[in-house]
Amino acid sequence: MGHQYKAVQWNGNKIAYDLYTVAAVGVFITVFMAIGLQTQASGHVADPVILLIRALGVTAFAMLTIILAIGPLARLSPRLLPVLYNRRHLGVTTFLVASAHFGLALVWYHSSGPLNPFVSLFISNPLYDSIPGFPFESLGFVAFLILFVMAATSHDFWLNNLSAPVWKALHMLVYPAYALLVMHIVLGALMTEKSMLYPVMTGGAFLMVSGLHLYAGLREWRADNGMKLFKAKGWIDICAPMDIPDMRAVIAPLPKGDRVAVFRYGDKISAVTNACRHQNGPLGEGRVIDGCITCPWHGWQYRPDDGISPPPFTEKIATYNVKIENDRVFVDPKPNPPGTRTSPAIISMEGTPSG
Amino acid sequence: MTASNGIIDPQKKNPDEMFIGWAPAPSVDRRFLLAALPAGLAASAGASWLIANELDDPGAGAWLTNATHQVTGVLANHPYPMIRLADPKAPFGMRTVLVVAQGKCTSDLTLSEVTGQIVKASGVLVQRKERQMLEVPLFLGDWLSVLDANVENAQALSAPETESLGQAQLAGTIMDSKCFFGVMKPSLGKTHKACASLCIRGGIPPSFWARTRDGRESVLLMTDAQGGPMPMDILPLVADPVTAQGEIVRVGDILQFRADPGDYQRI
Ligand code: FES
Repeated sequence: MGHQYKAVQWNGNKIAYDLYTVAAVGVFITVFMAIGLQTQASGHVADPVILLIRALGVTAFAMLTIILAIGPLARLSPRLLPVLYNRRHLGVTTFLVASAHFGLALVWYHSSGPLNPFVSLFISNPLYDSIPGFPFESLGFVAFLILFVMAATSHDFWLNNLSAPVWKALHMLVYPAYALLVMHIVLGALMTEKSMLYPVMTGGAFLMVSGLHLYAGLREWRADNGMKLFKAKGWIDICAPMDIPDMRAVIAPLPKGDRVAVFRYGDKISAVTNACRHQNGPLGEGRVIDGCITCPWHGWQYRPDDGISPPPFTEKIATYNVKIENDRVFVDPKPNPPGTRTSPAIISMEGTPSG
Repeated sequence: MTASNGIIDPQKKNPDEMFIGWAPAPSVDRRFLLAALPAGLAASAGASWLIANELDDPGAGAWLTNATHQVTGVLANHPYPMIRLADPKAPFGMRTVLVVAQGKCTSDLTLSEVTGQIVKASGVLVQRKERQMLEVPLFLGDWLSVLDANVENAQALSAPETESLGQAQLAGTIMDSKCFFGVMKPSLGKTHKACASLCIRGGIPPSFWARTRDGRESVLLMTDAQGGPMPMDILPLVADPVTAQGEIVRVGDILQFRADPGDYQRI
């Protein structure tokens, strides 16, 4: 089954992406250390290890903020698709940066003492019953464990072996992890440092991520609600055939909460599920390339009529039956089993506007 | 009204070409990336500068790891390991150098056999203003030799003058002396609390960093009410702002703050 993972193997784009990520992280940490190690007006100089712990922590949080913002942002502008494309590598890099932060803090603050460092991490500050005094280290540790599980299962091998819903649920844990990290910062660094910049930036990051998700959710909810007006018994009236741009799709909600992507390619119309088999990317926001529906996220492809990836790939997605009546496209809301061949609806010439 | 009112129409957002990772990027994406990638690096540098520039002052103190520091004096082990040396220029003619082990386990130093002896010790000097500390390996042979010779004022060094300066209510913070004297900068606040507590648990003497409203500070060696080592009940209060009622006692050149853990209150 090895070939099933080939669609997202290494390519030039990914190498460039990873090099760029490393460069951006390198710039951030170098500048942080250079500025932080300057002798203060008081003549005092900070400890480079503590500065590095802080630089790594800030970097990991900033990266996770970007990762979470990219999904909704890419829906607002397709220019951000290149960032989304390799988000998984960005996630793994974030985990590596977070590991360095965690490892260094564990060694520097908790090792070579009378307690096992992992015990010290949890009991050296015992104020679990206080909010301002709460041991912020434990919150960071739980978030780190979540990032670890996500990074360890990030490969498509796990996506296939855990099954998509389980994998997806597992990776939704990134939201609790992010919330834990916000609290890790609020109850740690923000209780220590005096500058107002830090609460402003942390709050700003949190509000941006939640705001973008609310906005994207609201848009889809509105779109879904708009469609309910046109819901009929049985087959669903989608639109006029020529409302669908050539080689593209319109996305419509179905009564059960799924979404269907209705593609037009020339004079043919086919409908498939909007959720990509790979990572639930929005297929309807992709286009038909070389005769195949192409996912905008990582470029997986499916034939429009049977929902099967072109050889040598074997991925399958659900198809829907379509028909055209009275110059309207109708979709049967009952999905066919993944990979079921359907006959595309053909747009008859009389129904087509000339230009 | 048509059904497309309620439909997410990707065409409005997506111009003709679409970025696909495995294919050459469309020109519109190339142009965007050409501008966005350098901007991203600049943003990374700018944000980093902004954040690092706002960090609090890391605090005083130095950990002079580049040189070995030698002291000759009388070794004491109560309430904490320390060496007192004669120093005619210092107040009261002596200087007390606290002794701590490498790492956070000072209580593993076995000093009972050499307590009260005149010793020559070498280690790494940790210094915060006039307060000094010697960081040494656990194995005595690596850093300490007992001298036969006598030193000036040996009597005064082994039993220094002790004077009560009276009761006082102090506000301040409980610090672990080692990090506070310069091993970790910053060594303040909640992010350092666990480390400070672990150090004190390991036998590193706690210091009380008292500050007055007008910003003057004073660093006192913390002991229990009788002048013995501080019990571990103090640990939960480490690094938090506290007040305590206790007795200030001068022992040689060092000020001790004598109060039991129960006398401390979190503010
Ligand atoms: S190709 Fe990855 S989600 Fe579609």
